[in-house]
Amino acid sequence: MADVTLSDIRKSYGAVKTIHGVDLDIKNGEFVVLVGPSGCGKSTLLRMIAGLETITGGTLNIGDRVVNDLDPKDRDIAMVFQSYALYPHMTVATNMGFSLEHRGASKAEITERVNWAAGILGLGNLLDRYPRQLSGGQRQRVAMGRAIVRNPQVFLFDEPLSNLDAKLRVVMRGEIKALHQKLKTTTIYVTHDQVEAMTMADRIVVLNGGRVEQIGAPLDLYDRPANQFVAGFIGSPSMNFIEGKITEAGFQTSGVVLPLPKSINTAMGQAAVYGIRPEHFRLSDHPGHAGVPAEIVLIEPMGPETQVTMKLGGNQVTGVFRERINSAPGEVMHVSPEVGSIHLFSEDGDTRLN
Amino acid sequence: MRADISPRTKVALYGVMCVLLIPFVFPTWWMVTSSLKPISDIFAFPPQLVPQSYDWTTYSKVFELQPFVQQYWNSAYIAAVVTVGTMIISSMAGYAFARIRFPYANAVFMIVLLGLLIPSEVTIVPLFQMFLKAGMVNTHWPLILVPIFGAPSVFATFVMRQFFVTLPAELEEAARVDGLGRFKIFTRIALPLAKPALASVAIFTFLHSWNLFLEPIVFLSSAEMFTLPQALTQYTDAYGGPMWNIQLAAATLTALPVLIVFVIAQKQFVEGLAHTGLKG
Repeated sequence: MADVTLSDIRKSYGAVKTIHGVDLDIKNGEFVVLVGPSGCGKSTLLRMIAGLETITGGTLNIGDRVVNDLDPKDRDIAMVFQSYALYPHMTVATNMGFSLEHRGASKAEITERVNWAAGILGLGNLLDRYPRQLSGGQRQRVAMGRAIVRNPQVFLFDEPLSNLDAKLRVVMRGEIKALHQKLKTTTIYVTHDQVEAMTMADRIVVLNGGRVEQIGAPLDLYDRPANQFVAGFIGSPSMNFIEGKITEAGFQTSGVVLPLPKSINTAMGQAAVYGIRPEHFRLSDHPGHAGVPAEIVLIEPMGPETQVTMKLGGNQVTGVFRERINSAPGEVMHVSPEVGSIHLFSEDGDTRLN
Repeated sequence: MRADISPRTKVALYGVMCVLLIPFVFPTWWMVTSSLKPISDIFAFPPQLVPQSYDWTTYSKVFELQPFVQQYWNSAYIAAVVTVGTMIISSMAGYAFARIRFPYANAVFMIVLLGLLIPSEVTIVPLFQMFLKAGMVNTHWPLILVPIFGAPSVFATFVMRQFFVTLPAELEEAARVDGLGRFKIFTRIALPLAKPALASVAIFTFLHSWNLFLEPIVFLSSAEMFTLPQALTQYTDAYGGPMWNIQLAAATLTALPVLIVFVIAQKQFVEGLAHTGLKG
């Protein structure tokens, strides 16, 4: 187990810069998730940590060592790939023991370690099989077994669940998390799925265009996103954004005035973006008394909650309500945003204003 | 699909296939049966599809008239060395062209491929001069060195490169993380997975070497150095006319190992494909 420290890490391919100076301190035993849309540089960053991509600039430390120029094998890391990358011509046991074999471990030691890993991951009865004889979930577990068997300082996961179906993904998500809690090995996990990031991470690093947008605990990112990108990326269904102007009366947008939070660090009359998560709308029981009129566009009952697409003035927004909605599309209901859960961003979306 | 075919169509299809089989099977049948006939029966009219009388002495004469065992051994060991050598060279070169980034890799590969465009008839005279100077004429070296470093190997390199290009890069990256260097990745990961491609390289390289005709008649001059295709032309009577039945007996013996190698390698080929698990 070790700390991982990235200082001003950069990557360019010729003149094209893909990573623009990333600083990140990952503590010993921490589970950090790198998340972001396709092409944001999260996999490149992980591969640079693994040693599979060269580092153009900056310093990478694993433990006390600067590892910039070390081969992957000398970094004491283990990696789980998106396609699992199990060796097709080797059995599960050979796959798992392969790295130990190459580090000169004795046969007895290899068997012991492989059996230990197989025990943890429930692979005991699959050790003689070939990867092609395994299901997707089993292959995933073997890939994890191969990673843990050597007890590395850092685990790297590169979108390991994206080849699994939705149900299995949830199961494996839990297994990876449980494995981390058991082994407490520093883990860096890449995903484009913000639900994975939210449920698994101790800390999330949101990347966009090769830059870090925000680093923080999942709920911190959810509750206080630093900018409009993070606000829109974290949370599903995603946050509603309404463009308008800050006035004494409230947030003025096309056709309606929305309530504003108390502390706003910007001047009146300023154009801004009003962010509200779908679950932070409340149904108002007294039309005309409180809330704003919302014309229903679409109702999608989910069971525990109902998702409603509605029009607030000229803006189409999504609301999620615990209550059953008895209205029909075309009808008007009254909703009020929770004042304490409102996010205000600058007009360009780069800065949080409250 | 298969269920859609009616029994009548099935019978018709089998009939057509049997007819189509004739041009492939008949020459072999004629070779084997004629090797057992007296010469007069070979040219009898109407042709005897099944020999009327069997003359087994033709096979013993094959060994009496030529040092056939020696020639058999010559062909066999040359083909084996050429096959193994080509497999080693082409797999390493193919891997390098597919996986190792070096300046002008594609341009160099194109130049190597150009070797395929030059017919052996064009290069045979300069090669002869070269081997003459090296004192290697009437030895087996030209028959070994030319295929291993010449056009047959270029084609094998092309086949291997095309295979290694399709090998998932993540497998090699996993191996790098597991602690393997480039050469170990090649021998432990890439090469075992390349069995199907290696098997096809082995088949066509062996066949090419076994059937080689032009090079032996240019480079070899003494009977005990001859290879089989060359030896077959030596079964002639006092007037230079072919002794058909003996020649066909020798041809039958020549074709036999090729059939055996093909059957074995074909099995390996199919097994290899299934074993890699790369399909599906």
